[in-house]
Amino acid sequence: MHNERINIQLDGGKSEMTYSIPIGPTHPALKEPIRFSFELEGERIVGVDIKPGFAHRGIEYMGMRRNLIQTLYLSERICGICSISHPLALTQAVEHAAGIEVPPRAQAIRTIIGELERIHSHILWAGVGAHELGFDTLLHLSWNVREKVMDLLEQLTGNRVDYAIPIYGGVRRDIPEEKAHLAYEALDYYKRLLGDMIDAFLHDKSVEMRTKNVGVLTYDEAVALCAVGPTARASGVNRDVRQDWPYYTFADMQIQAITPRDFGREPVGDVYDNIIVRLLEVGQAIDIIEHCMEHMPSGELMSIPKVPALLAALKKAEGEGIGRHEAPRGEVFHYIRLEADVEEPVAWKVRAPTYGNLMSWVPKFLGDEIADIPIIAASIDPCMCCMDRVHFVTRAGDRSTQWKQELVRRSREKTRRMCG
Amino acid sequence: MTSDELLAVLSGKLGGELTVLRSVEHRHGEAGRPIVDLWVEVPLARLRDAVAALCDASPPHITVISGDDLGDRIILNYHFSVGWGTHYGEVALILRTSVPTDNLTIPTISDLLPGALTAEREKHEFYGITVDGIPDDRNLFLPEDMTIHPWRKDEASVQRTTSMVKRLVKWETRDA
Repeated sequence: MHNERINIQLDGGKSEMTYSIPIGPTHPALKEPIRFSFELEGERIVGVDIKPGFAHRGIEYMGMRRNLIQTLYLSERICGICSISHPLALTQAVEHAAGIEVPPRAQAIRTIIGELERIHSHILWAGVGAHELGFDTLLHLSWNVREKVMDLLEQLTGNRVDYAIPIYGGVRRDIPEEKAHLAYEALDYYKRLLGDMIDAFLHDKSVEMRTKNVGVLTYDEAVALCAVGPTARASGVNRDVRQDWPYYTFADMQIQAITPRDFGREPVGDVYDNIIVRLLEVGQAIDIIEHCMEHMPSGELMSIPKVPALLAALKKAEGEGIGRHEAPRGEVFHYIRLEADVEEPVAWKVRAPTYGNLMSWVPKFLGDEIADIPIIAASIDPCMCCMDRVHFVTRAGDRSTQWKQELVRRSREKTRRMCG
Repeated sequence: MTSDELLAVLSGKLGGELTVLRSVEHRHGEAGRPIVDLWVEVPLARLRDAVAALCDASPPHITVISGDDLGDRIILNYHFSVGWGTHYGEVALILRTSVPTDNLTIPTISDLLPGALTAEREKHEFYGITVDGIPDDRNLFLPEDMTIHPWRKDEASVQRTTSMVKRLVKWETRDA
């Protein structure tokens, strides 16, 4: 798996002709903290060093001092956008460790909420991407249409984020017959809209100019660096946990990983391919939700409905398990070990998708220009609060503030320049 | 890839040094077709051979390395996904090895699988494990000058981490 572009990162990528600019922890591409140190030759990026950890809160450490139900609520707060993904992976890990069954209806409800999260996350990302390129009209339009799925999530679960739906052995709320029309209405809305979104993003000349062959991650690099989710699939890597290791209701469906080939394009692994995959996955999520609604199994919502009985069962459990969920950004993974007569998990490891995609940034940045930094940084749809888990005080220097404005200016200037 | 095929790949390389802990089938949905996770253990000295065998068989995906401090040793679980790319084609492999606390050194696998570097740097900073041959051993998530290893469960580590957090909280709330 020798690859020169990967070796550049490991060697630091420095030469005597370069100069360095630090960007972050506060910077334009993300609303979360991370520090990039770029080595530049003129405008061109020849090396990059990445320093995450500014939002590390010690969540696993906290979880190992709480009982499993408290840990479940904690897991929901790892990330606001993936607020169903972490609980889905944690409950699966605990259910596998403790041998707890999940009724089919509960599995379908988990699947539906997980896919609704994918729709809102991908549309959110599309808006961020448009903003980084300087198309704030498209940002506002994207986030406006995202409200429909946020409203639906609130109508079905009671909350826009942190839905509190999964519980070990099932779900806490049903999707009753009288609310089904709300889901169908929202799905119809997005079905009608998807063509327009694809047109606005993928058939726009200036989007094409700013994103094609920018931020490239090749197939070999994506496989070697173990990229996950749309970042890997945009490079043509046919990986999707829902396809490869089907869990919940995905076990009853023929899910296929979406790559740019589904749009008739041979994968390059650039930012444009990232947009293709995420938009097509909105359509895929609509189909999955429709399938679950039409084939909704009847039956119980929880295998152990009483919380004291559930806590007692969990306290007796001994074993270890893994939980995997294909979150919007890629695979979320939880490992847990339980000991009998201990209420807390004795070991808990969380792996968020951005952790898996961290090293993919390096080949993506190399060879591109300063003005492309915001859109490349955003292209993996990173989430620091997912990946980082100890809070430390950071030094906020004037230089990073200055670079924030400067980078946005450069990015927008480049778009204007390219549009003539 | 099935779990039997995966086991054949590993035992072909490791022979009797491979310990199969368990192969667990999980049934999801109503179809009842199982997904599998396979738990195996290898001696630390054969870890690289095991990973090399996986790389030869099919490109593996490493998700993360989880750890568990048991006092006299730290258990490391290398979580792989092998056989991805087809419907039901993947096995979740947990490759376990243990590192004695009095000699916390493991060999790197990042030359075999570059995607393992983030997980190895994390184990270096959080457990204080030396990774032999790692191309970059700087702290990744923790501050660069931090020498405490927060995931170690020995009392000294816990007390030092706790007192550090208390100092930070005091500093942060000094103007509140």
